[in-house]
Parts: sequence; C-alpha cells; structure tokens
Amino acid sequence: MESTTVPILLFVVCALCLAVGTVMAGRFFGPRRSTPVKGMPYESGMDPVHDTRRRFDVRFHLVAIAFLVFDVEVLFLYPWAVASKQAAQGDPARGIDLAVQSQLVSSREMVFFGAAAFFVLLLVGYVYDWRKGVFRWR
Amino acid sequence: MTTATSIQLLAPQCVLVFTAIVIFVGGAFSEGRGPWKQLGIFGLVMSGLILAQHQRAFETLLQHNEVAATFGPVSLDLLGYLASWLALGVGVLLVLQVTGTDARGPAPEVIGSLLLLVAGLMLAAQANDLVLLFLALELISIPTYVLLALARPTPAGREAALKYFFLSILSSGLTLYGFSFLYGVAGSTQLADLYSVAAGPLHAFTSLPLLVRLGVLLVVAGLGMKIAIVPLHFYAPDVYQGTSPAAAAMLSAVPKIAGVIVLVRVAAAARPDLGELGWKLMLGLSVITMTLGNVLALWQRNVRRLLAYSSIAHAGYLLIGLAVWLAVPDKSVAGSGHPVTPGLAVSGLSAALFYLVVYSVASLGTFAAIGYLGRPDRPLDTVSELAGVASSHPAIAAALALFMFSLAGLPPLAGFWGKLMLIIRALSVDVGPSAISPGVRHWFIVVSVIAVLNAAISAAYYLRIIGAMYFRPQHGAPAADGGLGTKLATGLAAVLVVGMSLYAGPALHGSDVAAESGAVPLPAAATPRARPAVAQNGQPSVAVPQLSAASR
Repeated sequence: MESTTVPILLFVVCALCLAVGTVMAGRFFGPRRSTPVKGMPYESGMDPVHDTRRRFDVRFHLVAIAFLVFDVEVLFLYPWAVASKQAAQGDPARGIDLAVQSQLVSSREMVFFGAAAFFVLLLVGYVYDWRKGVFRWR
Repeated sequence: MTTATSIQLLAPQCVLVFTAIVIFVGGAFSEGRGPWKQLGIFGLVMSGLILAQHQRAFETLLQHNEVAATFGPVSLDLLGYLASWLALGVGVLLVLQVTGTDARGPAPEVIGSLLLLVAGLMLAAQANDLVLLFLALELISIPTYVLLALARPTPAGREAALKYFFLSILSSGLTLYGFSFLYGVAGSTQLADLYSVAAGPLHAFTSLPLLVRLGVLLVVAGLGMKIAIVPLHFYAPDVYQGTSPAAAAMLSAVPKIAGVIVLVRVAAAARPDLGELGWKLMLGLSVITMTLGNVLALWQRNVRRLLAYSSIAHAGYLLIGLAVWLAVPDKSVAGSGHPVTPGLAVSGLSAALFYLVVYSVASLGTFAAIGYLGRPDRPLDTVSELAGVASSHPAIAAALALFMFSLAGLPPLAGFWGKLMLIIRALSVDVGPSAISPGVRHWFIVVSVIAVLNAAISAAYYLRIIGAMYFRPQHGAPAADGGLGTKLATGLAAVLVVGMSLYAGPALHGSDVAAESGAVPLPAAATPRARPAVAQNGQPSVAVPQLSAASR
C-alpha cells in the first residue's frame, strides 16, 4: 500500500469511529424526555408546518435577488484579487503572471480591464435597481 | 489565448450589449416610453456594419487560401458569419414587430432583452469552445425568460413564462452535463481538441468513444428542447398559445437557430466518435418530429398553437439535413486540408442551414402578420378570426398567404427549394464514397417518402388559414391594431421570402460554402494544448492574421 493512502484511510476510520461513537454515546447515556415541542422540526423559530402556498411579499424576492447579484460579484472579485498578487523577487511567477507566461492571456492589463468591465456592468445593474426602486421598502 | 484581438472580434456583440444597457438604464431614468425601438434598430445596424467590416477582413484572408482562423475561444468561419447575419436579420424583424401589452408600445426591457439575445445568438455562432457555447446559450435563455414574463400579463401568459423557464433550465442542465463528458474526454474545452483526440489513432480502441456518444446524446436532449424535437416538444404549444405573437415569433426562431448551430458545432467536433449513432438518432428524431408535428397541427383552432406544431414539424425536416451530413463520411474534408468545392460530405448540412434561414424568415413574417391583425392587449387567437381578412386587409392577407405557401413548400417559393434540397440530398446519399453500406441508402429513401407525405399533410392546415382569409365571409373585422412596426416586419419578411425564392441558387451556394467551413472544428491557433494533440489533417494550424489592421 502506498504511504500516502494509509493516513487517509486512518483518517476515514477515525472520523467514522468518532461520528458513530458520539451518536451511540448519546443514545446510551443521555436522558430521554420527549415533549411535543421537542418533536417539532426547528426552523428559525417559525411554525414549520403550514400551508405551502403561503404568499410572500414580493419585496423579499427583490432584496434576495439584489443580494445575490452583489454576492456573486464579490465571489468573482476575490479570486481576481488573490491572483493579482505578484510573486516576490526571485520566486516563480504565480497567479495572473503565470497565466501570462503560459500564454493563457496576453497581458496583466487584459485581466484588469476584464475585471473592470465586469465591475462596471454590475454597477449598471445597481443603477437600474436603484432607479426601479428596489431598495425602497414601500 | 485571450488577446485584444479576440475581444475585438466580439465587437458586433459588444455593440449590441452596450445598446441594450443604454436602453435598460435609459428606460429606468425616463418615465414615458422613449424611442427604444429606433435605438434598438440603430444598435442592430451598427453591429451589422462592424460585422460586415470583419467579414471583409476575413475574406481577404480567404484569398490567402486560408479557410478559417481561430482566436482562442472565438473562431472565424463562414458558418459563423452566416449565423451572425441570420441573427441580426431575426433581431431586426423581432424589434420591429414587438408590441407592448397596451397601446404605449413595448417596455424598454423588452427591446433590451431582444438585443441581448441577438448578441447571444451571434456569440453562439462564433464560439469555438464549450464554455463560450454554454455562455452564449444562457445569454439567449435568460432574456427569453424576461421577454416571456413581460409578453402578456394574463394567467396564461404567466403560465407560459413559468413553463418555459423550468423546461429551459432542465435543458441547460442536460446540455451542461453532456458538455462535461466531452470535456472529460478531450481534456480541454476547445472543440478542436475534442476533434483531434477523437480522430487520434488509438482512440477507437478505448472506451472513450462511448463517453463521447453519451455526451452528444445528452447535448442533443438539451438542445432538442430548444429546437422543439418531439420527445421534448411538450412545452411549445402551450407556451406559444399563452404568450404574445411577437414572443412566440422569437421562440420559433431564436432558440431553434441557436440549437442547430450549437448542435452542428458539437457534432462536428465529436464526429469521428459518433459512428452510426449520429445519423440514426437524427433520422429517427426527424421522422417522429415531423409526423407528430404535422398531424397534431391538423386539429388546432388557435393560430399560435397551430404555428407551434408547424414549427415542431419544420424542426423535423431540418434534422434530415443533419442526418445526411452525419451519414456521409467526411472524406473530402478530412482528406484535403483546404476543401475548395462544396462536396457531397457537407451537402446535407448545407441544405439544413438553407432550410433554417428560409423557415425562420417565413415564421417571423407569419407572426408579424398575426400580430398586426390583433391588438396589443388582445392578440388574434383562432383561425376563424382570420375570416375575410383578404377583403379588409388585402396586403397583409397576401403576405400571410405568401408565408403559408412558403412554409407548406409550394413552388417556386423559398420553402419549396429548401424542402427540395433536403430531399434531393437525402436521396443522393448513395452516390457518395463507397464506404456507405447499401442499407443506409434505403433508410434515406424511406425518410424522403415520409417527408414528402408530411409536406402534403402540412399543406392541409396551411391552406386552411389561406382559405379562412380568402374564401370565408367576414364577420367582425379583426382589430388590426398591431401598429406600424408589425406591418414593416411583415413587409420586410415578405421581401426576404420573395428574394430567397428568386435567388435560391446564390443563397444555396452561400449555405454550401458556410457548411464547408463549419464541418470541421478549427484548430485553436495560439492556444497551448493540455496534451500533445494529433496534428489535424497533417496541416500546421492556421496562422493568426493581422485582422486588427485590416478591420480598422
């Protein structure tokens, strides 16, 4: 067996033992006093059992979509920021520099302006949202 | 390699997206309805001018005996240009004919979404990479949801939008799942890499061809929903009926063109692995699609529902061309690096492309005429409402009759040439290389007979519309309140149909050349390959030309 797989197997065995062990320990040693409230599924304090066709205010959806847009924006900006960091003198190229070196993109500026274009497009979406009154809680 | 050139190549799409953004934001800042339609047309024309310039630069390349070139994920070939021009034409016809839900005209969001999906269609036409292809498909799908949601504020309209939304998401998922298998085999998202891996010497001895087939099957399932091929056609009648004529026109053309183009690109790359599966699948789907579409259309009373089944049937005819293309081994393409004369190998593809253009224009014209005859808030619904239109609106009735005759395939109209070419090329499968077994030929003869029978069946319902217009007494004239735009779109489509009927020869030659250039995925010139790829056709990859200088 290869030396790299043994630790992984050991880890899996330990994890399994720990998971099963804690559950079993709770089962054997824990007190069990059942009440109706305890039997309810927990859902942030709301009554979890109701008609599924309950109406939601459309404002929640607008806020959710606006949140999603900016959430995704940040999600895309993080890798760009991390990849932009230039390696120290003497170290091998990393991130965008590596991509330029291996001819995936032509230059650093290309990546910068690409990210800038992405940012501007999202800004346009923000302006549109603002004008349409998405952020006004009427 | 993503360079300034590959961005520059996308300038026509960028212009459209920029115009769409101006319209979106401008609409948010102005209270009333502004000149959005005019701005939309302006954007499409500008994009067309840039595209023409690019094509001129590309044709100087052709004179240097180079068929096509790639710039990273973007490729240049005549198939891409054909589809781009088709996209722009479809865009003009759609922007002209779209109406709002009341007399004030369309909302800015509607025009903006139309421009975005035209940009997506042009992107799909030029993409040479699985990721870009999927991105382009989504750029078409997402504005489509917006358009359908805005089309009609009735429960039926909302149902249509929601139905399309869920099924389209499912189809996107299937397509993406298929793409993931193709990526797994090729080790790269470039279509050319998939082709060179699939054409590799030892590839056939592995189990990888099975994976490629599975991937292509999933892609066909995903795109089949957009093209409205029969097992996946269920949404079409309900959605067309529930939505407005202009939105139905968009659905009848844009997803279909995109689906066919992407299918051609993927099939061209996966071709060496498809074996008999490719043409058998296409042939089987074609037979059930055209038969079911035509037979079910016979029972319809609602005009849009009828046209939905008609669009399903036309998708069936189209698939014959693709089946012919996949059945004939591409000897003439694979043997010589630079094919000069359009050969038999791509004749089926060429017929399918020609048919796609002819069908799209006639279909868009039909919906424009129907839109003109209705009112923005209450479109024309049943065939009987068309009674006596010939006496009240002779010009529109004549145009509508022209589209119906063309869709039915009556000589000498464009639809006839399209069907004729499909059938002739299906029958000429056997005159190709001797590698084709005689059994293949019999299949294509059977399908040709079925196609001709279907054309006869379809004439029944197309003629029913013409009969209602010309031979039934008028009772309560239709509102005919669609506005100038729908009228212009009808006229433009009629001119295009007549033009393609008169110049069917040159048009067919154009699609021959386009099919020739799109039949094999282009080697990505400047992209380093993940693995040592087999040199395609023993040719060095195409040199990157100085396009930036030429297109200025």
